[in-house]
Amino acid sequence: MLLQLLINGISLGAVYALIAVGFAIVFSVLKFSNFAHGGMISACAFIGYFFQASFESPPPIIVTIAVTSAAGVLFALFLDAIAYRSIRRHRSPSIYYFLASLTISILITSLLNIFFSKNALAYPMLFSSTTFDLGSLKVSRMDMMILAVSVVILAALMLLINKTKIGLAVRAVAINPDTSKLMGIDSGAIIVLIFSIAGFLAGVSGVLLGCKYGVYPDLGQTMMVKGFIASLIGGLGSLGGAIAAAFILGVIEMFWTFGFGALSTPVMTFVLMLLFLFIRPQGIAGQFAKEKV
Amino acid sequence: MNSYQLGLIMNSCISVIQVMGVFIITSLAGMFSLGQASFMAISAYFTFILARSLDLPIILTAIVGLGISALCAFIIAIPTLKLRKDYFALITMGFGEMISAIVVMCEKYTNGSIGYSRIPKVEHIFWLILAITAFVVYFAWALKRSRFGRMCIALKTDETAAKSFGIDTYRLKIKVFIIASCISGLAGILYGLKNRVITPDGFSWNLSAEMQIFLFFGGTNSLTGAVLSAFLLKLLPEMFRSLELFGQSLQVYRTAFYCVLILLVINFRPNGILGEKEFSITTVRRWVSRLLGRKKAEGGQDD
Repeated sequence: MLLQLLINGISLGAVYALIAVGFAIVFSVLKFSNFAHGGMISACAFIGYFFQASFESPPPIIVTIAVTSAAGVLFALFLDAIAYRSIRRHRSPSIYYFLASLTISILITSLLNIFFSKNALAYPMLFSSTTFDLGSLKVSRMDMMILAVSVVILAALMLLINKTKIGLAVRAVAINPDTSKLMGIDSGAIIVLIFSIAGFLAGVSGVLLGCKYGVYPDLGQTMMVKGFIASLIGGLGSLGGAIAAAFILGVIEMFWTFGFGALSTPVMTFVLMLLFLFIRPQGIAGQFAKEKV
Repeated sequence: MNSYQLGLIMNSCISVIQVMGVFIITSLAGMFSLGQASFMAISAYFTFILARSLDLPIILTAIVGLGISALCAFIIAIPTLKLRKDYFALITMGFGEMISAIVVMCEKYTNGSIGYSRIPKVEHIFWLILAITAFVVYFAWALKRSRFGRMCIALKTDETAAKSFGIDTYRLKIKVFIIASCISGLAGILYGLKNRVITPDGFSWNLSAEMQIFLFFGGTNSLTGAVLSAFLLKLLPEMFRSLELFGQSLQVYRTAFYCVLILLVINFRPNGILGEKEFSITTVRRWVSRLLGRKKAEGGQDD
């Protein structure tokens, strides 16, 4: 039983990690909390659902994920054009980024609420049998698929950020956009790239969450909070910390739900977060907690 | 005026009180709270449940309700306000989620998501709300002009500089947050008295975000702007209730409409509709320009 819960928790943590990383990557470069991420996840979940449902025989889930994440990138670029670009041009304080992302999130959710019902739409069945046996354990195929996709994408992203030249540019812009410009890095392009990566991650997590929980307008909003909490526990802006914290949070939540029921989980996660801020405010990774003077 | 119109005005007044709470946090101290609706919920639920179960007059239990809001604000503030501002927004948002969950959990007392409706009737509710609104707006105005308000504005403009002038920014932020939470709590109690039913959905994250949107639309640096936009943006959608778009009442598009407005403001008028400007009537202008003595719109926020 313990092992079973652990596996389920890790799979849950993998989805949280995708959300938390999408959130943390924007924070690490632009230093603002990207609330639009929740709305993007909802929108992508719907896009994925309608793509999947438009075929007689559903295409493999990987195709849907690819198409949706491409749509997520385009969507992110569109949002950049209507909201963030003018903020960059005016060099407005970052509180406006904050406001813009908040507005976009609410806009998307309210439009989805108008045109679709609050009842969850279910993705078509992906697997003929929902579980398979691993020794004495019953493992959900869906959870394993989610875990595999998340881990592959997270690994690819970490490689991109830590090992490539583009990743180096991203890290440089995260430290200081103006100085990076002097070093020959196109900061504006990097920022657009960051938004596209966030859109890509929103697309992937939208489809995965849609498969797991069904598609409804508030899906992204609900899940976004978990991503936020994970990235906060991990240390705002740190990708590695966010991933580690997301897995920990997923496992703890699974055990808590088993022991005390799902209703009280928001209370548990909040208290956990508050305690964490008391004990180790800089987060697991220990970066970015203090505002630079 | 018939009771429907009175009801609309009362709603708008409550919206003004809500936005005043956010105004004190965001415009004076430069912090971004996404959990003010949960303070409304805390105060409202405590006030009405205590009034019903202990059979006390509502004025007494209202004080208890506000006190508990203040206490919650204090507990959240201790670890959070030491850190950078982004933490504050996220923590308050998580707090809102938690409060909704608690309300649903304590079904025995709160009647869960169906809503708590055993709220006593109050005479002259319209005048009560109007008077409290006037008082709260006056309070915000006086606060902005006071020494405390100037300390807050110094904090918002440049926290490091404020510290170097000997302002204890940490304690100041805690105080600001507590005051604002009490005002939000007051709005919650009035909301309950007016509607006679409170549901956890009514105090969702969207309400907190809506308050921020109203505030930014009017202009973060203008109290007049904040009051006007809170009043009008709440009122106007009701006026166009009968119009239809894509087969649905225009009222449904209310939130989307606010959001589009804000995106336009961000793109074309980053300081809000009123920015620092005020009415054209000279006397009012002189009065208000004294109130808004600060003439710094750009670079008002640090970070």
